[in-house]
Amino acid sequence: MTLETEVQSLRQVPMFREVDPARLKLLAFTSERVHFADGQRFFDRGDAADAAYLILEGEAAVTLEGPQGPIRLALLGANALVGEMGILADQPRSATVTAVVPTTALRIDRRVFLELLSQFPQIAIAVMRELAHRLELTNQQLAQMRTG
Amino acid sequence: MSGGAQAAGRTDGGAAQRAGGAQSAARGRTAGREIADPRAGNDPEAADASGGLDRSLFRYIWRHSKRDQILICCVVLASLPLYFASLDLPRRIVNEAIQGHAFEKGNTTAKFLVLRLQMPDWFGHDVSLFDGFDVDRFELLFGLSSMFLLLVLINGAFKYWINVAKGALGERMLRRLRFQLFSLIMRFSPDALRQTKASEVATIIRDEVEPIGGFIGDAYILPAFLGTQAATAMTFILLQNVWLGLLAAGVVGVQFVVIPRLRRELLRLGRQRQLASRRLAGRVGEVVDGIAAVHSNGAEAWERAEIGHRLGGLFDLRLRIYRRKFMVKFLNNLLAQMTPFLFYCIGGYFALKGQLSIGQLVAVIAAYRDLPPPLKELIDWDQQRLDVQVKYEQVLQQFLPERLIGLDAPGRDDSLCGRLAAEGVGVQEPHGPVLAGVSLSLDLPARVAIVSDGGPAASTFARVLARRAVPTSGRITIEDRDLAEWSGAALTRRIAFAGVDPILFPGSLRDNILYGLNRRPPDSAVVDAKALAEAHRTGNPVEPFPADWTDYAQAGVADAGALDALILDWLARIGMGEEVYRFGLLGQVDPDRHPDLAARLIEARIAFRERLAAEGHAHLVEPFDPTRYNRQATVAENLLFGVPTTTALTGRALVEHPVVRLVLDRSGLADDLVTMGERIAATMLEIFRGLPSGHPLFEQFSFLAADELPEYEAILARRTATEASAERHGGGALNRIRRRWIGLGRYGSADATRLIALPLAYIEPRHRLGLIDDAFRDRVVAARGELRAALDAAGMGGVDFYDPDQVCAAAPLRDNLLFGRINQSVADAVETVTATGTALVQEMRLAPAITRVGLDHQVGPEGRFLSSGQRAVVSLVRALIRRPDLLVLDGALSPMGENRARTVLGLLLERFGHENSLVVVLPNDRVSDRFELVLRAAGTQIHGPERPAASRAAPGGGEASPGETRAGAGVAAPAAAVSGRAGDETGPEPARVEQDVKA
Repeated sequence: MTLETEVQSLRQVPMFREVDPARLKLLAFTSERVHFADGQRFFDRGDAADAAYLILEGEAAVTLEGPQGPIRLALLGANALVGEMGILADQPRSATVTAVVPTTALRIDRRVFLELLSQFPQIAIAVMRELAHRLELTNQQLAQMRTG
Repeated sequence: MSGGAQAAGRTDGGAAQRAGGAQSAARGRTAGREIADPRAGNDPEAADASGGLDRSLFRYIWRHSKRDQILICCVVLASLPLYFASLDLPRRIVNEAIQGHAFEKGNTTAKFLVLRLQMPDWFGHDVSLFDGFDVDRFELLFGLSSMFLLLVLINGAFKYWINVAKGALGERMLRRLRFQLFSLIMRFSPDALRQTKASEVATIIRDEVEPIGGFIGDAYILPAFLGTQAATAMTFILLQNVWLGLLAAGVVGVQFVVIPRLRRELLRLGRQRQLASRRLAGRVGEVVDGIAAVHSNGAEAWERAEIGHRLGGLFDLRLRIYRRKFMVKFLNNLLAQMTPFLFYCIGGYFALKGQLSIGQLVAVIAAYRDLPPPLKELIDWDQQRLDVQVKYEQVLQQFLPERLIGLDAPGRDDSLCGRLAAEGVGVQEPHGPVLAGVSLSLDLPARVAIVSDGGPAASTFARVLARRAVPTSGRITIEDRDLAEWSGAALTRRIAFAGVDPILFPGSLRDNILYGLNRRPPDSAVVDAKALAEAHRTGNPVEPFPADWTDYAQAGVADAGALDALILDWLARIGMGEEVYRFGLLGQVDPDRHPDLAARLIEARIAFRERLAAEGHAHLVEPFDPTRYNRQATVAENLLFGVPTTTALTGRALVEHPVVRLVLDRSGLADDLVTMGERIAATMLEIFRGLPSGHPLFEQFSFLAADELPEYEAILARRTATEASAERHGGGALNRIRRRWIGLGRYGSADATRLIALPLAYIEPRHRLGLIDDAFRDRVVAARGELRAALDAAGMGGVDFYDPDQVCAAAPLRDNLLFGRINQSVADAVETVTATGTALVQEMRLAPAITRVGLDHQVGPEGRFLSSGQRAVVSLVRALIRRPDLLVLDGALSPMGENRARTVLGLLLERFGHENSLVVVLPNDRVSDRFELVLRAAGTQIHGPERPAASRAAPGGGEASPGETRAGAGVAAPAAAVSGRAGDETGPEPARVEQDVKA
């Protein structure tokens, strides 16, 4: 697997869909590819948010510690981006992410990511668009809950 | 000639011995006469320096080198008859052999080599030693010519010996002078130090005395040699023809009178230039020392302008010097050329008139040819003399006796225990009294706090106790004996002082900590006799160096190993053990110095691997295997399979190394690497375009620096164009020319080298450009062996190769333990491996040995590689390791940070007070109750001692004391403000008093 395949994966992420391939390549190049063994943690809830992860292969579970053991919130597969909200908001991790099978992910360092955002408005706009989109979805869900 | 040289060598050696003997005898006399210090007997410098430098340069030279000067002068005189003979021979060759005057009266033969001892008439007749050979005309010609050649050779041999002897003499005197100046610097008084700029003094010792040394060799000999030479030539001319001689003498006289006058102005300018350039050096030194302040104040432009102005001044001076100098030269040359003109003219006239033979004329002209160079050199010598004398006087100005403190006189060496009393101690600074009439007494050993009132008094009193400052009035006594009666050497051994600004020297941690123990000159068992004789002759120290000067007895240990353990114990107690351990992990293990550790590292290396495997983490580290490509290492590392020890094999320089390049070309790797480089360059150009240069991402990630992008773009363009063209038109020679003609075919080996440089740092799993396949890996592993063989064959060394059974001395200890590369693409690999390694080190008890390696850590210039807290610890341990009778701390703990300072103070209080005393300057009363005795500074007074009652430690007592100190602060504040501005090494600064122990 090379940089090219990682760029392909990044393109699948809605946030990066519109971004110039050369910039995605820079993003991929400045990121690290890391392997997680089955059951190895990406990060724990409460950790400092130092990186976002793009899952290239494998699956990871998002969990919260409940009174009767962990509660699984979601299962993330290939091309899923996780932890990006934490690095943007500079807040501790809100949940724990664990690999459930041997997993390969692209580790996007927070500092590098913010550097790219400040350098290339195109990426910043893409991120803003995605965040606005998410906000709109949340608003819609909220409205549905109120009416429903 | 060789015989002459040998004889000269013998004479020289004999002279050396004689001079050495005389020197030591003289030393004994001087020592006996001038000072009673027994140490002066084996320290000739002390004897010399006590008298200072002579006011006159010539007296200085004569005092220290008369023996050599006279010897050389004698040799010069001995060479003169032969020189005269070599002048006379041309006349004989022309007159007797060529023109045949010797055969005039029908003789077919003439006598050759008649040796006759000429005697004064009243003594009788000449004594004939040898009647000579009978030779014909040709034989006479060849005989005389051969003799001429022989004389030339002998004269050359004389000149050679004289020059070497002169050079050695000058260099010896220079060595003596430099050493003497350096010794005098050590004796600079505090006042002198305040006015001295380090870089200016360094310039004096290095540059300014250099011409003096050059001149010393010539000081007496050159005028003797050249003067007699010129006089010989002149006498010769006079003997041939009085008129021609007088003519030459007249021109010479003019040269001697006029030229020096013109040169006087030159000297004045030269002096100005010397001062200006010395100030320039001082100024540059100041700027470099204070570069941080320059940057933070944005004063770069101002500093640049200032230096530019100085350089302009220097240029101006030099230009004026040149103008005058070359004018003088022109005049000199003119005068020198005038004489031959007159000789041809007038000498020719005499010859035509028959009053002068042609042979005489030729000889006169030949002799005259030899006259101007000595004369010119004599005039030069005279100028140099004036110049150097001025320089010497200027150097002397810096080392006047009033700027020096006295030599250390022998004195008491009693333990500093018992009743210590201050009797009316006062310290006067230029701006007013700092201490006035301080009288107190206390019993040592004790733990004493001096609580500052914010003024400089507490600090100054601490310095007086530590003998860092000498009271201007009153005295300090121990058991009623004045501290001044102790010898300086004893006091520096018995008292240790640590201030707020630790002074560290470049070297290892150990070197710095042991600095205070470097006081026992080793027994000179093995001595280089020649070096020793030279040292004697030049008044330099005769103690062996480099050697182990450590005084183990003073530290109370038997050997270096025990001393290391002691240092490590102190460091651990103070809390720097962990840091030194980390230095050790990054340090290098020299198998020769640490054979035990080296062996255990190999053992640990194997255990490490096994342990990782047992924990299921074997995949986290890819070990170095001579037969396999290490995927986690760079291409260059895989190629070298070792750690480069020269810069020629480090980084990109590798590709330019001829042996490496040869192996790359031979193995075909060069082509692979060019292709890889091309792809890397293309990718970098693609993804980093648009980032501003200097962006942090470049430095962190790119294979190319920002300013290299255009260059590589051009290389790629050239390569593409060349390839396309080659494809279209074929690669024939004609086409290469055609391409060059249209400016295309310039992609060449230089470009290829630039491309090969890129993939050297490439690691496939990290960079993921998909450039490396198994075939490439195999080729690299194959080339690895070839490269090693080639480098070994070249015999250049430069690589410390990895060997599973050996310690790689050039690699950090940590890498030797790991002996592989951590797989960075596994999450948390570094943490896991580090944890395993730490556990292993604990288990194998390697930590002490590793920490010991940490003592080799280099502290950098002024200790800049250490944090200020670490510097303070080094300075403190340096004081502790000496086991002083009295340890005085003034702000030494404050850089360590509050917690560590509290721990260290506790440690010191626990260790001191039984046999040794501790005196600490405290900024306030917060911890003073932990001491036995408390002194209080108030204005220019020190009150006390008082015993802090246990009740005083209560919060109430603690609150009362700041009020007290504040009352005193009002008095001392102005003095403090002024002394702070003085900013000198010895003067007290408020900052030092500020915070010693914040706890």
